Amino acid sequence: MGQGPSGMPGDNLNKRKDDKKKEKPKYEPPVESKFGKKRRKGPDTAVKLPSVYPNTRCKLKLLKLERIKDHLLLEEEFVTNQEAFQPTEARQAEEREKVDELRGYPMAVGTLEEIIDDDHAIVSSTASSEFYVSIMSFVDKGLLEPGCSVLLHHKTVAVVGVLQDDADPMVSVMKLDKSPTESYADIGGLESQIQEIKESVELPLTHPELYEEMGIKPPKGVILYGAPGTGKTLLAKAVANQTSATFLRIVGSELIQKYLGDGPRLCRQIFQIAAEHAPSIVFIDEIDAIGTKRYESTSGGEREIQRTMLELLNQLDGFDDRGDIKVIMATNKIESLDPALIRPGRIDRKILFENPDANTKRKILNIHTSKMSLADDVNLDELVSAKDELSGADIKAICTEAGLLALRERRMQVKADDFRQAKERVLKNKVEENLEGLYL
Amino acid sequence: MAPAQQDTSSTQQQPAAVEEAATTTTTKKPVLPEEELSEEDQKLKDELELLVERLNEPNQQVELYGKYLDALKTFIKESTTSMTAVPKPLKFLRPHYPSLTDLYTQWSSETYSATEEIVVKLADILSVLAMTYSDDGKRESLKYRLLSQKESLPDWGHEYMRHLALEIGEAYQEYLGSADDEVEKLVKLSLQIVPFFLKHNAEADAVDLLLEIESIDKLPQFVDDNTFARVCLYMVSCVPLLAPPDDVSFLNTAFAIYLAHGQLTQALTLAIKLDDEELIKQVFNSTNDELIHKQLGFILSQQNNSFKYPGENPEVQETISNVKLAEYFKYLIKELNLLEPKVPEDIYKSHLENTKFGLGTSGSIDSAKQNLAAAFVNSFLNLGFGNDKLIQTSDDNKSWIYRTKGSGMSSTTASLGSIHQWDINEGLQVLDKYTYSDDPEIKAGALLGTGIVSSNVHDEVEAAFALLQEYVTDPNKLYQTSAINGLGIAFAGSANEEVLNLLLPLVSDLEISLEISCLAALALGHVFVGTCHGDITSTILQTLLERDFTQLTNKFIKFMALGLGLLYMGKTEQVEDVLETIDAIEHPISKTLKVLVNICAYAGTGNVLQIQALLQMCTAKPKEQAEEEKKLEQSEEDQQKEEEEAKKEHADTTGDVEMEDASEVKPETEAKAEVKDEDVTAEEDEDAEEQEELYQGIAVLGLACIAMGEDIGQDMSLRHFGHLMHYGNSLIKRAVPLAMGLVSVSNPQMKVFETLSRYSHDADLEVAQNAIYSMGLVGAGTNNARLAQLLRQLASYYIKSPESLFMVRIAQGILHLGKGTLTLTPFNSERTIISKVSLASLLTIAMALLDPREFILNDSSTETTHQLLYYLTPAIKPRMLITVDENLNPLKVNVRVGQAVDVVGQAGKPKTITGWVTQSTPVLLNYGERAELENTDEWISLSHSLDGIVILKKNPEYMEVDN
Repeated sequence: MGQGPSGMPGDNLNKRKDDKKKEKPKYEPPVESKFGKKRRKGPDTAVKLPSVYPNTRCKLKLLKLERIKDHLLLEEEFVTNQEAFQPTEARQAEEREKVDELRGYPMAVGTLEEIIDDDHAIVSSTASSEFYVSIMSFVDKGLLEPGCSVLLHHKTVAVVGVLQDDADPMVSVMKLDKSPTESYADIGGLESQIQEIKESVELPLTHPELYEEMGIKPPKGVILYGAPGTGKTLLAKAVANQTSATFLRIVGSELIQKYLGDGPRLCRQIFQIAAEHAPSIVFIDEIDAIGTKRYESTSGGEREIQRTMLELLNQLDGFDDRGDIKVIMATNKIESLDPALIRPGRIDRKILFENPDANTKRKILNIHTSKMSLADDVNLDELVSAKDELSGADIKAICTEAGLLALRERRMQVKADDFRQAKERVLKNKVEENLEGLYL
Repeated sequence: MAPAQQDTSSTQQQPAAVEEAATTTTTKKPVLPEEELSEEDQKLKDELELLVERLNEPNQQVELYGKYLDALKTFIKESTTSMTAVPKPLKFLRPHYPSLTDLYTQWSSETYSATEEIVVKLADILSVLAMTYSDDGKRESLKYRLLSQKESLPDWGHEYMRHLALEIGEAYQEYLGSADDEVEKLVKLSLQIVPFFLKHNAEADAVDLLLEIESIDKLPQFVDDNTFARVCLYMVSCVPLLAPPDDVSFLNTAFAIYLAHGQLTQALTLAIKLDDEELIKQVFNSTNDELIHKQLGFILSQQNNSFKYPGENPEVQETISNVKLAEYFKYLIKELNLLEPKVPEDIYKSHLENTKFGLGTSGSIDSAKQNLAAAFVNSFLNLGFGNDKLIQTSDDNKSWIYRTKGSGMSSTTASLGSIHQWDINEGLQVLDKYTYSDDPEIKAGALLGTGIVSSNVHDEVEAAFALLQEYVTDPNKLYQTSAINGLGIAFAGSANEEVLNLLLPLVSDLEISLEISCLAALALGHVFVGTCHGDITSTILQTLLERDFTQLTNKFIKFMALGLGLLYMGKTEQVEDVLETIDAIEHPISKTLKVLVNICAYAGTGNVLQIQALLQMCTAKPKEQAEEEKKLEQSEEDQQKEEEEAKKEHADTTGDVEMEDASEVKPETEAKAEVKDEDVTAEEDEDAEEQEELYQGIAVLGLACIAMGEDIGQDMSLRHFGHLMHYGNSLIKRAVPLAMGLVSVSNPQMKVFETLSRYSHDADLEVAQNAIYSMGLVGAGTNNARLAQLLRQLASYYIKSPESLFMVRIAQGILHLGKGTLTLTPFNSERTIISKVSLASLLTIAMALLDPREFILNDSSTETTHQLLYYLTPAIKPRMLITVDENLNPLKVNVRVGQAVDVVGQAGKPKTITGWVTQSTPVLLNYGERAELENTDEWISLSHSLDGIVILKKNPEYMEVDN
């Protein structure tokens, strides 16, 4: 369809030409078709709206946008007027009906093995062997390429359509439809971290002109690192909660696939989806799963993981501009990451998450206890003022533990004693962990 | 201020917290904002509250109040803001805003007079607070600012100023016309703000503010050497998008600024854009430096302007008249090593063609038509090179001229003029011997060539005029048309009065054939392009009124209309009178005329209203109506045929009379012409109908002409064309490819030529032919390999259709114009100014191609046909950068050539080019490319933009550094 002549069939305007043609029968070799040029950008770029510079807030930008709007209004006017005279939809429906008739029913799905010439190809269907079949003229040849899925006529097995499947269904799962409930208010402390992530992830998507005015490029991504349980994932959740941009979340380990080349492909697709839904934020948790330093390795699996990382490197700061995609990564082993991954340009900001100080601890404790029913004798300050190394997760654990202890005794309130015990238990577990580390 | 930074972040969660409390209905206790406050915040808040409280306590000493206010002011000023949050003091003071306003009314009305210092101070602070507090539309910020009258504006920072500017803009619109003193106050305030903006790198804001209050002319006093460049750049890029009269006032202001800061070349481009001879003169008068005068002359020369240098120096006038153009071009091709002439086969590359259809390659066909095509290709290819392998052979008899026939011989001979383009002396010498030829066609060709060779070059001798003069009234029509066309091409844009006196009688003479009249009108249109010449206008209109009604359907009549249109090129509103006069003509032609005059007048403006009007014209007639017409036509076909017959006879007799006049026409050709004539008349009934629709085709071309003026229109017009192609009738469809070509001349964008390539296979051959021509136009002079390949494919595709193949050849020739050293783009000086002469040329060909079979593809030997292609000549110019020294001798320096970057409104000093390559001059500049001097310490360029011929001066302070 895409390659056909643009003249409208059946218009009486062409009658004259028909007469003329009778006078001069002319040999017309068929138009050469172009196969396999997936014109994902073809017709779209022709109808794409021009981009508007500068990005700063100024009259010039307004004028340009207004000019585009004017033109679009003109287009609308023209098209509605013309549509009133010669409705296309009816004609299209008619044509579609004809095409459907030609396609027949039911259709089989096969794979295009090879294109022989303009209207012949070799296809294989799942059931049987390969066939040499013709390609119907109304099939968009630009979409045909070896290996793509095609629709086949049930009797003649002719190619009657192309099935387009682009993105892995796995990727669409990663898109976040329901935003998490955690918001910035659920984060105790971490003020500077919040500010940094806001400046480098949210603000560039909402107010790009601020960066333009300053004459800097907004950061592309951030990495959140720090000891376990300091709130890296929590912060990412809050970002997802707050933003209206598309939020894609993956775990580093998801990028490790069974088959060779699948990991990098998935990686590519994620960024492709992100670009399609721009503006978007990609959050990769536990990046150390694939982002470890490169080293000589004989294991194929190891090498594959490294290749996946290389793909990631390219996606982050590769040849072509990714546009409005921001990347957030989280890890607790930043020192083991490949230096190329976290160089400025790929990851512009490294945000350290430290164990909370006394003040923050109290805030975290406040957040966690705000929904608990506490006895009067609970003194939260006492709990956190001590010089214990507690992370946010530990504090939460204490709260849960205290609640559990209260439950054990069938009480409706959590008492100070519960907290004391809970803290001891949590700290003990922590110490055991440490000891384990010492002796093994 | 370090703690402040940290503090702001903690407040950020507050809005979030509040939001959370409001939205979520969980059992969670809402987190109260007070709890979140850090100690420092609390302290600040307490202090502020204390101050407000104190202020509200009555009966204190004035000094005390002053102290409090000062303290308050310090607090506000010292707070740093984060990008994401409101400054803290402002936030804490928010609840107290109403009480403070009350206080103000109390003070100003009761306790103190309004001019008392503390009252003023309070107003000052209130104005700032209002920024965060006041509701939309109340503009309290502005109110208190006006009340305060204090000169402490800049103290409050950028965000405040912007806010104020916004409110001023709103208020101005409201007060305008109703409260003059208010308006005056606003203007006064704005004039305080503007210098602040300019100082702080916000020239866009400054210009915008002045635009809002309609006093852009006040800008020049504020700009200084550091800011003027950015200000002017911003203003100039606003111009195409502004509605009149703002655009003219912007240009005038920018012109004044450039002139004041000695940027004469930039001022000149604006003067050209304003189309004001006086301003151009002013630029010249503002300096006595003859070197700069010469540089200005070089810029003017690209416009083919008829400007007469006011000074003494003949060299400057020479630069304006392009006298040395041939010399520089020869230098360019010598340096680029392109001296070796090429033959058409070098670009056909038929060996690369796909021969799978078993028909041989397209290059192997030998026919008069294809030989003529080869002659055109040869002339385009070797244009200005002064030598070729096809026509100027050692043995005259073997010359290519004799391998064409009929009018083809004229065009082939005339191509000699193209080959020697701009080099008048040599060109005329070569052509001289052909003017004595016995063959009338060859002689006519030589006459045309004489015109071509001196196109765009005007010396004092005006040899072309002297040579062609006598033939203009020659009884032989062939000589006559050739001479007229030659004059039109040679003197395009020169506004030469002698040509006027020679040609004007031809236009008005009702006795001579219409073709001559029309061509004379067209030639005059070219010579006086954009001058609004009154005599010509009235003569053309008079002729149209007086000419016989039936004659107005003649195919040549559109050139007379075009001639009229060209006179008003770029004149925008000045056409109104003419449009009224045109209404007096009752023939359908008047509609065509109107459209033509309009599109010419608004060419390059990007005017949306005009585009709208044109699109409405293209809206199809209701189908029923068209069908009815059709039915009528068919039922009366027989009748009509008889009528046609009668008409034809009439037409034939007039034709015969002409032919008898042209006594030297060979009988064979006459016979052939008659055969052809029958063909033509068979098609004539269509033409009669099409005449009515002609204006639609022209409207499509007009879309391109108008939209090409600015980038957005250019892009968006492509979308319009898509719709037109989808819905339009056959004439519109024929015009769409032409318009697409017109809108991106010499700018081969993928999306454009891919679309054109699709159209080039259209079922309607004429659409296809126009698409092919446009493919050439889009790539004119670029040697674009992709386009070349597409055209090669087309050559084998259309191998059996000589007409389409002819068009493919022409397109190939245009694509390789001057072996890729020339361009057809109507834009000059980095795409800032549009050359009327170039546009007129392009438009002429496009008009002719609205009906390709009638003109360019016609084989008639009595009428002007493919000779019209030479009207492209005035649009052709080298796309070179040549640097010359102070004696105008070529100079080799290193320049960086790269893609131009739009730096409007960008912060800092961004690079103006990207992806550059360092080359040594002379270099070729592609579309959208810009050059920069590599060694700016050593050389000073006299022109702001490096294109065309640029004079370089050695920097007197430059010291050679030895490494």
